[in-house]
Amino acid sequence: MSTRRWPRYFILPLGLLVLWQLWGMTLPARSRAPVPLDVLASAVDLIASGRLPMALLQSLGRVGLGFLVAGSIALVLGLLMGFFRPVERNLDPIIESFRPVAPIALLPLAILWLGTGTPAAVFIVAYAAFFPMIVNTIAGVKGVERRLVQAAQTLGVPQLTILRTVVLPAALPSIFIGVRLAMGLAWMSIIAAELAVGSKGGGGGSGGVGEMMFVFYAYYIELDSIVVCMIAVGLVALAIDHGLRWLQRWLMPWAEQHR
Amino acid sequence: MARAADSGAPPGRQWRQSTVLLYLRSLLALAIIWSLIALWVGNHVILPQPTSVAYELFRLIASGEMLVHAAVSLWRLALSYALAALIGIPLGLLMGLWPWASDLLDPVVEILRPISGIAWIPLALFIFGIGNELPIFIITYVALFPFLLNTMAGVRATDRTLVRAARTMGVDQRTIVRHVMIPSALPQILTGARIAGGAAWMSLVAAELIGAPSGLGFAIEWYRQLLMTPKVIAVIVVISLLGYLTDRGLRWLQQRLTPWSTGIGANP
Repeated sequence: MSTRRWPRYFILPLGLLVLWQLWGMTLPARSRAPVPLDVLASAVDLIASGRLPMALLQSLGRVGLGFLVAGSIALVLGLLMGFFRPVERNLDPIIESFRPVAPIALLPLAILWLGTGTPAAVFIVAYAAFFPMIVNTIAGVKGVERRLVQAAQTLGVPQLTILRTVVLPAALPSIFIGVRLAMGLAWMSIIAAELAVGSKGGGGGSGGVGEMMFVFYAYYIELDSIVVCMIAVGLVALAIDHGLRWLQRWLMPWAEQHR
Repeated sequence: MARAADSGAPPGRQWRQSTVLLYLRSLLALAIIWSLIALWVGNHVILPQPTSVAYELFRLIASGEMLVHAAVSLWRLALSYALAALIGIPLGLLMGLWPWASDLLDPVVEILRPISGIAWIPLALFIFGIGNELPIFIITYVALFPFLLNTMAGVRATDRTLVRAARTMGVDQRTIVRHVMIPSALPQILTGARIAGGAAWMSLVAAELIGAPSGLGFAIEWYRQLLMTPKVIAVIVVISLLGYLTDRGLRWLQQRLTPWSTGIGANP
């Protein structure tokens, strides 16, 4: 990535932006199609008025809560399943049969059970985040070097203490891969959940950036604002991923950077 | 939960022998718990009995309605998946082979990639309306990145020595690409295909739920509005089964075509 090659990086994105703007200017004035300059203007408006930051915060809060619930269950279950064979043998079939269920497919049930507010969204997020977490926790626990566990057992350390002080730290890098996958999936499903709640909930406003996008589509037809939300959603996804990568390097400098 | 099966047999053999049995036993336990909760809830709309779900599933299949929904969804999925492969693999090859191509295209890919397919739904609703185009667009978009990125990474990971050896023997560039680079990248392309398959299923459901007049995703939402919860769950079961079978099929394909690979790839 030498400096000489830098200009090339900008050719296509900038070129496409300019083309998009030019195309937008040929449209009749009443057209609703989004155009870069209008998108910029509505971005400034949405951020300055605090609506976009609040919506993002609300969605992030739901993701955080759902992730916390799913993560703590998955961590405990995953450690037990990875460490104790009978637990795994009995629970694995259940987990494997629920794993292919797309989180979004559960949304109608979530609306039925929990209404159109935050609980339904949190449920979907938790469901989505659970599986990457538990699968990677189990894999991490199983990848722990046997000799470490055996050494501790020889020294007479109780099983649960071994789990906490030997297995958990050794499995941490793999667990963290699960965290990153889970957060990516959780952020994706919160958008889907809020969108679908917005579109199928029958008018009951539930907030969040996904619902905001749907409102812009359905009630105001402000496509510029939709594009702003899309960009914001992408930026948050990037920020989550980079933040977690950074956290991983900071927490576990010894662990190789996995993909 | 049912008690652990601990007989005298050696653990390895016991495991293989009784996997199916264990599976059935765990599922039976789950069904009993579900049934008890349903009895406690006592509301057929909120949580139906597993037996009534099974009955509705049978009726939906027997009447052919499920087949129609599944056929529509699978047709959309296959079409968009093929489109994504047709765009993603050549672009990935291009970007993997020539630095200028990746310099040009990479920024656009990196800008678009974090924007999940689902976030495109509102804009796509406006552009395409409710119909076939919307799910096809969303699934193609979602499946495109795993194909593209894994093809690119696979081509880049080709052993330089092999390429040089071929070049030394006077093989021209096109043949090197066809007979050295593509076979060498194949395992990773297939890994991309599997990741694309999983992502495609998930977004198919979301896209159909919100913006399609037919298909499995539509069916769940339709029956929810009619408060026919047993049918909602029956459709969810079918979606999961089909998703599972798709993944199995792609895994099988991967093992058939590239039996030597272990299958670790870039997951966007």
